[in-house]
Amino acid sequence: MMSKIKTLLKSPGSHKAGGRPPALLLQGIDKTFDGKKVLSCAGFRLEWGEVHALVGENGAGKSTIMNVATGVYAPDCGKVIVDGRDVPLRNPADAIVAGIGMVHQHFRLVGRFTVAENVALALGGAGRRCSIGEAAHLIEEKSGELGFSLDPNARVERISVAEQQRAEIVKVLLLGAGIMILDEPTAVLTQGETRGLLSLLQRLALAGHAVVLITHKLQEVADHCDQITVMTQGRTVLDAAPMAVTTIAQVTQLAFGEVKEKPPVQMGHFGDELLRIEDLEVGDGAVTLEGLTLSLRAGEIFGIAGVGGNGQSELVACLNGLIRPLDGRIVLTGLDLTNASPAQRRKAGLRIIPADRFDSAMAGDLTLSENLTLTSLDSGRFGPWWRMSRKAMIRDAEKSLKDFNVLGGTPETKASLLSGGNAQKVLLARELSAGTRVVVAHSPVRGLDVRSVNAVLDLLAESAKEGAACLLISEDLDEILHMCSSVAVLNRGRLSAPLSGADLNPTRLGELMVGHV
Amino acid sequence: MFESTLLIRRQSAPGWLSGLCYFGGLASGLGLSALLLMFMGVSSTDLYQEFVVQTFMTLQGLDQTVTAAIPLILVGLGTSLSMRVKFWNIGIEGQLWCGAMAATWVSVNDVGPEPVRLWLMMFAAMAAGGAWIAIALAMKLAWSVTEVISTLLLGSIAFFWVQHMLFGAWRDTVTGFPTSPSFDSAERLDLLGWGQVHEGLWIALTAVAVCTWLTDVSRFGLQAKAVGANLRTARATGLPVLGTVAVFVLGSGALCGLAGGVIAAGTEYRLSQSIGAGYIFSGIVIAFLARANPLGVFAVAVALGGITTAGGVLKVFYGISEAAVLMVQGLVLLSVLAAQLFSEYRLTNRRPV
Repeated sequence: MMSKIKTLLKSPGSHKAGGRPPALLLQGIDKTFDGKKVLSCAGFRLEWGEVHALVGENGAGKSTIMNVATGVYAPDCGKVIVDGRDVPLRNPADAIVAGIGMVHQHFRLVGRFTVAENVALALGGAGRRCSIGEAAHLIEEKSGELGFSLDPNARVERISVAEQQRAEIVKVLLLGAGIMILDEPTAVLTQGETRGLLSLLQRLALAGHAVVLITHKLQEVADHCDQITVMTQGRTVLDAAPMAVTTIAQVTQLAFGEVKEKPPVQMGHFGDELLRIEDLEVGDGAVTLEGLTLSLRAGEIFGIAGVGGNGQSELVACLNGLIRPLDGRIVLTGLDLTNASPAQRRKAGLRIIPADRFDSAMAGDLTLSENLTLTSLDSGRFGPWWRMSRKAMIRDAEKSLKDFNVLGGTPETKASLLSGGNAQKVLLARELSAGTRVVVAHSPVRGLDVRSVNAVLDLLAESAKEGAACLLISEDLDEILHMCSSVAVLNRGRLSAPLSGADLNPTRLGELMVGHV
Repeated sequence: MFESTLLIRRQSAPGWLSGLCYFGGLASGLGLSALLLMFMGVSSTDLYQEFVVQTFMTLQGLDQTVTAAIPLILVGLGTSLSMRVKFWNIGIEGQLWCGAMAATWVSVNDVGPEPVRLWLMMFAAMAAGGAWIAIALAMKLAWSVTEVISTLLLGSIAFFWVQHMLFGAWRDTVTGFPTSPSFDSAERLDLLGWGQVHEGLWIALTAVAVCTWLTDVSRFGLQAKAVGANLRTARATGLPVLGTVAVFVLGSGALCGLAGGVIAAGTEYRLSQSIGAGYIFSGIVIAFLARANPLGVFAVAVALGGITTAGGVLKVFYGISEAAVLMVQGLVLLSVLAAQLFSEYRLTNRRPV
């Protein structure tokens, strides 16, 4: 049994390309989701023995084309050729048999199982049953071969994200993947861990594997990748160019359009303190916020930088009144809101733009006018409690949509049908209305196209100019440096001292983000 | 054949398409039911006679249909209200039994002066139904006990309670049967002079009007819609989530309790062990087919009342079992729900690669 598994798991030949057909060839792939074309005649060519970067904006079609390659989506038309053979990929199991493995952003591991149990589960699912002991042996062997240690008997929920990622990589390799696709693998890693992962990927390529790296981070691409493919709006605009003859500037222009140097928004004349957070402690979920203290003044846009998952969501949920803090105080102009209800917070002028607007700010199944009305039902603008005025709701919504330049929807459109940028503008139209004193915006422009990004950031800046205080929580340093004059970094539930002036630079922020203080 | 078939989720379905799917599903469900009954030995002309002509087109048949529809309207409305806030009330019968018991308690103990006793019975029925569902609601809020389990089990408890009373304190001393003593004439809903149809019809129609106001006119309607669509958003936007849920859930229990009171005081004139049977299933069928819309509930409940009436006739004259009538309800519901697939997904063929 063991020997049989081993021969099956043998890594592909360690010679480079030499006359071998490409590892993966996707040609003329179209994919439409209910009339919306996400891929049009897209292509992708991956050779054995290379680390291949796949770059593009959010919504450019990177994940979709890789989902086609792993059998998750069936293409409307086009060819998928794996190692020279035309293989039908009807489902993810077919892709595993064909030797294609994917490491998703959200790992496909069972948290309560040990690493060995997870591997045994996956191997069993692929029709290669083995005992947990055998799986543990295979894991030790494989991780030794890859040059890191991984405890097969550790429970997945107890180990760090980086270790979980290694477990996922080992699992995918043990499943027999010659072709490995990683979706934004470095987004969850510290700088040191990132370096380790990227050199691991290079070693895998040297050993003859073909590796696809989907990423936003161009420096990683420049330093660690052999080939690059760039996608925009469902098309392949740069098809498998060798990295050696491609510059980052070229890639940036192709993938993201012209990036202009933007003048900073903040001037530095602020009013009185509006929001004070003292020694906040929140223990809900994986990350615990500890001793978080900050002060926001009228007209100020204060930035909180940091890699996602370091307590940002917990902070926002706590400010929103959705989770109770264990300790500390939240005070808005002298009013203690620590244990106030969401309605009381709103009345005091605290407004939240959460990272996932359809999780805790809007309802996708409600129309735009209904979503816009939710927060002002008791204002009396829409009639008494016993008789809502639909007419007044629609009239109000029409005005908001016009004022905030929302395209692609009428007041009667369901919110889920709007594009991300327009849905965000609807949310801002609601939250930046009269009475706003403090705005907390968590990754407000993530996933939006360039034009919407500018519109949303302009709206936040304008609201600060009108005297509101704004807390901008974001992973994007360019955005934070453009918007804020003082910035603190959230790392593992702790907030650094604020940086401003000459101290406020990408290098210093980067150090704080990875914890080298 | 299905190798190359793809199911693609639609971003939105136009109104005509979901209408077509709804009525297509309804038609195929009725067609399947007709086939089933014909297979069981009822000829097609008899089916037409019994289901269409006798139940809806003759005055005598129609009065039976309407009488059957009165409690169906109430339980259908009750289920719809809790559905609006995504509270799955599977214990309709439990609230109905409690309502019937409360009305009987008022009657047996001669509570209050006679002229208002009937109204006291109806209010007691509503209060009891509301109180019974309040137990499930409180357990959900305090300890996150899922209401699917708690309402269902509370239904069993209510039924055992009914049996306890009927075999004990309330047993009819005149007949010796396990039923309550017959209600006095002042404790009965008056007949309207059209077959068995009684004043409960006005109660049901009032309930339709009140529910329409609640869901479509008042502020509660939009609040409930938001709570049902996204609870976290409703909380974060500062809506009175608890109040909204309480109004809809307690209203749901009260309407089901009222149905129990109306059956006891309107058609049976006593509490017996058989008055509440089958309403759990009918309530869910009606609310789903009506898509929780009060006016829709009225229409579906009348149609289902017809099926019940015709089913009774089939049972007596054609030897068809009671289960077959429930099968008809089930087939219609399943067909309509299955047909929704086509309004939510588009079927296409994979183009040759």
